[in-house]
Amino acid sequence: MRIGTNSYTDTMIDQFNLLKSQQTKLQNEVSTGLSISAPSDDPAAMQNTLSDLSSQAAQTQYSSNISTVQSKADTIYSVLQSLQTIANRVGEIATSAGSATNSQPDLNNYASEVTSLIQQAAQLVNSKDPATGQYLFGGTNSGQQPFTVTTDANGNVTGVTYSGNSSVNQTEIASGVTVSVDVPGGNTSGSGAQGLVTDSRTGADLFNHLISLQNDLLSGDTSAISGTDTTNLQNDENNLTYQVAYNGNVQTRLATASSLATSQSDSLTSLITNASGADLATVLTQLTQAQTAYQAALQSSATIMQLSILNYLP
Amino acid sequence: MLGLLGTLNLASRSLQTQMTGVEVTGQNLANVNTTGYTRQSVEIQTSPDISTAIGPEGTGANVVAIQQVVNALLNTQIQSQQSTSGYWSAQQTALQSAQTSLGEFLNGTGSATSSTSGDNTTDTGLSGQLSGLFSAFQAVATSPTSISARQALVSQAQTLASMFNQVNSQFDAARTSLNTSLGNDVDSANQLLSGIAGLNKQISTADFSGATPNDLLDEREQDLENLSNLTNITTSTGTNGAVDVSIGGQTLVSGNQVLDTLQTYDAGGGQLLVQTATGGVNLTLTGGSMQGTIDVRDGELATMQSSINTLASTLITQVNTIQGGGYSLTGTTGANFFNGSDAATITVNAALADNPSLIQASGSATATGDNSVALQLADLASTAQAGLNNQAFGDSYDETVAGLGDSLQTANNQVTNQTAVSNMLSTQRSSVSGVNVDEEMTNLMSFQRAYEASAQLVTTLNTMLGDVLAMKTS
Repeated sequence: MRIGTNSYTDTMIDQFNLLKSQQTKLQNEVSTGLSISAPSDDPAAMQNTLSDLSSQAAQTQYSSNISTVQSKADTIYSVLQSLQTIANRVGEIATSAGSATNSQPDLNNYASEVTSLIQQAAQLVNSKDPATGQYLFGGTNSGQQPFTVTTDANGNVTGVTYSGNSSVNQTEIASGVTVSVDVPGGNTSGSGAQGLVTDSRTGADLFNHLISLQNDLLSGDTSAISGTDTTNLQNDENNLTYQVAYNGNVQTRLATASSLATSQSDSLTSLITNASGADLATVLTQLTQAQTAYQAALQSSATIMQLSILNYLP
Repeated sequence: MLGLLGTLNLASRSLQTQMTGVEVTGQNLANVNTTGYTRQSVEIQTSPDISTAIGPEGTGANVVAIQQVVNALLNTQIQSQQSTSGYWSAQQTALQSAQTSLGEFLNGTGSATSSTSGDNTTDTGLSGQLSGLFSAFQAVATSPTSISARQALVSQAQTLASMFNQVNSQFDAARTSLNTSLGNDVDSANQLLSGIAGLNKQISTADFSGATPNDLLDEREQDLENLSNLTNITTSTGTNGAVDVSIGGQTLVSGNQVLDTLQTYDAGGGQLLVQTATGGVNLTLTGGSMQGTIDVRDGELATMQSSINTLASTLITQVNTIQGGGYSLTGTTGANFFNGSDAATITVNAALADNPSLIQASGSATATGDNSVALQLADLASTAQAGLNNQAFGDSYDETVAGLGDSLQTANNQVTNQTAVSNMLSTQRSSVSGVNVDEEMTNLMSFQRAYEASAQLVTTLNTMLGDVLAMKTS
């Protein structure tokens, strides 16, 4: 075939450009570690990668949600432990004071201990979440101190009122999965989360029961102490035991969800790598090939371009 | 019998003939790098013979023509290929700039320690910002009273809104620049049309006088190919060598006359199309960069922009509906989260942005710590939207991105294919019409040798004539 002198140089330039652009693309893959960077490189892989990246961002957020509520659950747990300690001590007092051998001054001493335990308990249930500065046990009405203690002139507690609500917040810990670590201070609605100190379903009403114990001690009514008061306080203790168990369950769920979020994020990473990651070994080999081809093209062109009949004419 | 003088005359014409050969070779060599140049060849014929008693006697050779070595079919193919090539190149350019406008690229840092890497992949566009918004809603849901979480939400939403604004204005700019480039194409086409008419005039004049205007033909062929690149043309060659050109069924050049020119017109909403200037006939173009520009502007780019607007307006409506029913940390309700109605106008409500505690994340007027509204907002991430073909926000947008990628990939492939076809046709044409230096040098030597031989004939005849004259004097 007849070849025009110019068509040869044109072809050569096209080949150089092609080989150059191949090298640029491969070099880019090596430096970014990505086989695709723009949607047009591979639209389907790009779509998958974007969707996987969004899912990964969501998983990261779930992990962050989990660690936030985990620390809240820890705080709640420590309050529950302290409340249990108080409840145990009150149980001991009720048992000791319930026998008829105690004198009124002894009972009065018990009464003043109970009063201070009530104050302690009230302080505990008014605890704030150190992370947010919000009250832990006010339900969702967490900006306002949930429990208010009223005392008479002698310093005896006459009432503890609850001004929070019975709602709790849910937190998403996985797609469509929510959990609540919150415990409302009281719940007399008969539904929803079980109240910490008051719950109409279990008969728990810690503060009123403590107050009646205090009053019975003051009045020396040992039969009421060993009767109604002991039974009621048992209900309160059971309620606290339930709350500790619930907290433990939630913590277990959070730990499971946390490791699930991490492993999902890992598997998303490998999906992203499969869709858009460059296999460095392959890419580097291809780059070497492209460079060799480019060198060969340059060398052969340089040799051929010098060949002309003009070299042989006299 | 030619006789001595007749033969001398033959030798002199032979010198002229070979000289013409050298001249044409020189012209070919001079134009070896001229774009669109068609190599020329001398056509040498034996001169009419003289009848003599012993039979016809030759009278040497004459140049009867200097001809272009051309394949007309190849030229037609190249013209039509130019239209296709122009069409896809225009699409490619526009879609590439759209892809840049969208800004949806993956970033990564190559890791030398692992054989593959993907754990550090990030994306730069709306997709990442959208999932960022939903994560920020989640963070507010987890800590509903935290001002810092609310502040982070505000700044994430502001980033998203300004990215929507930016993408939209880039698309507007792309549309304007496509209209400008259509206008430029129309101007170029008009110049080429008048150029072709002018060349037609010169060619038919030369044709009338019997000459072959080779270089003018090359020039006109170049013009026709450039015009084909702009739009699909139909040509017909008249008896006098003039070429008539029609675009979209309208004859625009007839002989040496430009019957009509092109102009753009607004078909409504800034959508520029092409019509004839005098006749006012709206043209349906079928190829070339003009139609490529129109198709990509009204097709892919318009679809993209409207998808992004739908995405933005659905996001505004959904977020505002949910957030509007909630209560802020101060108990206020009813404020919008986003202002505006589409990608161009979306902004974060300034009142909320200035005071993030006014974000209405609570479902109860009396419980500031409630998070039910924030939770609903976060759930929008995975909620299918009727306005987005029952897809969630992120999925719908990712599909839009993939759609653009598909179109650009198609355009890229088409351009690659057309380049291959174009290279093949050029090589074919070059193999017929291109100048080959080696060949020309060989021709040059053969003309030179023939010239030498003819010169030798003159010398010989000179000697012979001298001999004849010497006969008388001696």
